[in-house]
Formats: sequence, structure tokens, C-alpha cells
Amino acid sequence: MTHYAMVIDLNTCVGCNACMAACAMENQTPVWKNKWRTYVPEKEIGSNEMVSRRFFPHLCNHCDNPPCLTVCPTGATYKRPDGIVMINPELCMGCRACAMACPYDARYEVTYGDIREGKEFYGELQRTSPSMDKCSFCAHRVDKGMKPACVQTCVGSARLFGDLDNSSDPVAQIVMSGAAQPLMAHFGTRPNVYYIEDMKRKG
Amino acid sequence: MDTMTYTTQSLWTWWIAMYLFFGGLGAATLSISFLTDMYCRPHPKLVMWGALSGVVMLGISSAVLFGHLLHHTAVIHVLNPLVLVFQPHAWIAWGTQFILWMMVWGTIYAFPYMRVTPLFVNMPLVGKILQTKIVVWLSDTCMKYRRVVGWFATINGIGTAVYTGLLLQSFPAVALWHNPGVPLLFTVSAFSTAFAYLLVIMNTFIRDETDQDLRHRFELFDVILIATELVILFSFFNFTLSGSESGYRSAQLLWHDMGWLVGFIGFGLLVPFLLELKGVIRGWSGRFPSVAAGVLVLMGGYMLRHYFMYAGVYAYPW
Repeated sequence: MTHYAMVIDLNTCVGCNACMAACAMENQTPVWKNKWRTYVPEKEIGSNEMVSRRFFPHLCNHCDNPPCLTVCPTGATYKRPDGIVMINPELCMGCRACAMACPYDARYEVTYGDIREGKEFYGELQRTSPSMDKCSFCAHRVDKGMKPACVQTCVGSARLFGDLDNSSDPVAQIVMSGAAQPLMAHFGTRPNVYYIEDMKRKG
Repeated sequence: MDTMTYTTQSLWTWWIAMYLFFGGLGAATLSISFLTDMYCRPHPKLVMWGALSGVVMLGISSAVLFGHLLHHTAVIHVLNPLVLVFQPHAWIAWGTQFILWMMVWGTIYAFPYMRVTPLFVNMPLVGKILQTKIVVWLSDTCMKYRRVVGWFATINGIGTAVYTGLLLQSFPAVALWHNPGVPLLFTVSAFSTAFAYLLVIMNTFIRDETDQDLRHRFELFDVILIATELVILFSFFNFTLSGSESGYRSAQLLWHDMGWLVGFIGFGLLVPFLLELKGVIRGWSGRFPSVAAGVLVLMGGYMLRHYFMYAGVYAYPW
């Protein structure tokens, strides 16, 4: 059984935002209102000569126990057998409960206005109805044997994508080693995006 | 050094507070009216006021939510009762069904009284509808199975009131919402505001002297519910003070806000509590204090939900 996951190394992310650009073009996200499927916020940490800048890529964590799925009243949010959490825009009525339930701030709105704007911005738009939206691990690419756009484009190899159920996969090995940890696992969400901490090295 | 980011949300704002307020108030109003009619004494005016205003409130509640949906036609999926089979874990699915069936059973329960009330019989369109075969049949059946219909409505009403709290409880990231106290608090508040609303109606529009015992009983229930609400809020205060940074920051937002402290706790709970307590113990010579207390409780009911929505704090590790 395949169980997709991502590892993000905070030590090698340089904050170039190429992942955001690649994702936006691949998935036609409403960038005109600063909404992205993956986002890289930066934060200045420390003071004086100890100051450092931290880049923290975040995206949907494709949780194994996703609160966004349990609160979805129409069944628009669903989980594929390979672990990818998806949204069916045709079923989504846009109540935003999923965004309220997500502890990772992974979801945003796509309105009727965004669809009009998207047609002008991208030329041809894949979506036809408004809905909530989020990262799909580029499921359409993964199904063709390709990597998600953000992973493919990452210049520092800060993002790795692989199968947790394949013990020879580098992602599975990093996760099993304990070097990478999920975010806020105490919520019981069982996330599938893991982070290699940078603060120990910087601190 | 703190690498976390703490923030409130801007997705569910005043309109969801309106949805929760009118949903809880409308549902509890219907339930109290019908239970009074079934077990205290038959009270056509109370039932008609309760049923009609309750249905209007539930309509406002649903319309506010519907108006803010991103994809309006997709709402059809949640109106289908089978949604409870496919999405039994989604509280919005349950809430939509509770509200929908509450409106249906609530209207049917009021039919027998409406059919013999000149105001409705002589109304241009309503009068004709009340004489149609289907309404006559529904009305006769309702008279035959009065308590069954009343209980169907009441169960959906209680379900709606509890649902308004369960909805917020299902968001795990916010300590203020994700705890067992929220459904309890919102249910108590829904029934307190409903008693207050019915007291206002009985003191202004119905004005029946034989209702003195009923008004006294409603006022007593409201005093007990406000006192319960104060106890729950105190436990919330203790709960949020430690345990999680999200909860602590919510506490700071709420308990440093004069609108919450003076507006809600002061004028929305304590003042009406004292007014109604005096009414219960010694009574008032006029109706104004009772009406004022009711209006304040209603104002407080909205403020509770408004502040709860704005004070939920998310903690992000970036």
C-alpha cells in the first residue's frame, strides 16, 4: 500500500519561493489575493549578532486523521487510499468549516470573483466552480509518476516526497530515523508532512 | 525566544455569530412554547408566537449562512436527509437537518391553532393555504398525535441548540472552542435567551393576566439558566488561564475587553439576573423591568457568540 508523505528540511530552505511560484502555475491558485497552496513565511529570530532569518514552508499536511474531513458536511473533502486528502469542488458548498478545523492554516477560499480573475490571469482555468482549496500533493502529477511541482522545483532539495510504506524510500528512512518530526502532532491529526528542525543548529 | 505565531481568524465572523445566535434562540423558543402547550396548559397564543417567530429566526439563521456560502447550488447536498448516512461525523450536516425538520414540525404543530385564529384565516394568501386539503389533513393529524408532533419538534430544537456548540467544539486547534464546555454553554444560553424572548413577548404582545404563573415560572427558569451560564463562564475562565497558549491568549482577549466584561458579563448577564431575581422573589409592579431584563439577555446571547468567534486563537509554528 502506498502512503505518501513529504519531508521538509528547514536547514536547506533558502526562502527563494520557487515552490510557491511552481505550485501557483501548476494549480492555478489565486495569487492576486496572496493565497497559495504552499507558502513560505519568514521570520527574524534573535537579536544583534545572534539574529537569523527562518523560512518555514507550509502546506496541507494530508493528515491520516484530518479534522477538515470530519467537519465537511457534503463529503467534498475525501482521502484517497494513498493518503492524499483531496477536495471535490463540485461537491463543496464553501461553508469554510474545513478551514476553521485545520490547525495548519492550509485552506483558502476560491470565490466566483476569483474564477473570473483566474480566467484573465491564467488564460484557461481548470476549475469551474468556487470552493475551498488546498494542496493536493499535485495528485494529478503523482498519478503519472511525477513529483509534486514544489518538490520538483526546489533548488535546495529542501522538499522530499516519497512513500512511507516503502522502507527503501529516502523519505521513509528519514521519518523512521526520527530526524524529521510532524507539526503539532498532539492534536491527533497524524500529519504526513515532516520537518527537519533547524533551530538546534542555529541555536 | 518564541518562534510561534498566534492569530485569530477572519473566516467565520459576525455572520456565523448571527447564525449560531438565531439558530439556538429560534430552536429553543419553539421547544419551550411546545413543551408549555403540551405539559403546562394549552396556550394557542404562545404556540403561534413561539412557532412563527421561531421559524422566522431559524430562517434568518439559515439565510445568513446560505448568503455567505461560496458555492450556493452545492447546498443541495446537505439538504438531502441522506447526508446523515454519508457524513454522520459532520455537525453542519446534523445542524442543517435539525433546523430543517424543526421548521417543518414547528409549523405543523401551529396549524390547528392558526386554522381557528381570525388573524390568519382572514389573511389573503395564508387564509387560502390554511384551507387547502393538505393543511387541513396535517392539522387534523397533528391534533390526533399532538404530543408526537410536539416531541419531534422539541427533539430537533434541542438538537439545534446543542449543535451550535458542537460545531465550534469540532475545531481542534482552538482551545477556547475545542472543549466539552462549549456545547453546554451554548445550549444553556440558547434556552436562557428563549425564555427571555418569550417573557418579552408575553409582557408586550400577549399581555394575558392569566399568564402570571407562567411568566413567573419562565422568569425563575431564566434566573437558574443565567446562574448556570455564569458558573460555566467562570469555569471557562479557569480553563483558559493555563494549559495551552491558545487558551491563555483567548482569555487575555476576552477578559481585557470592556465589551465582554461590561457589555456581556455585566449588562448581558448580571443586570438581567438581578432584575429577574427581584421579579421572582418580590415581583415588579410594572412590566418594564421584566422586558428590560429580557432585552438585555437577548443582547448578551448575541455578544457571547460574537466574542467567542473573535477570541478563538490559532497557534502556528512559523
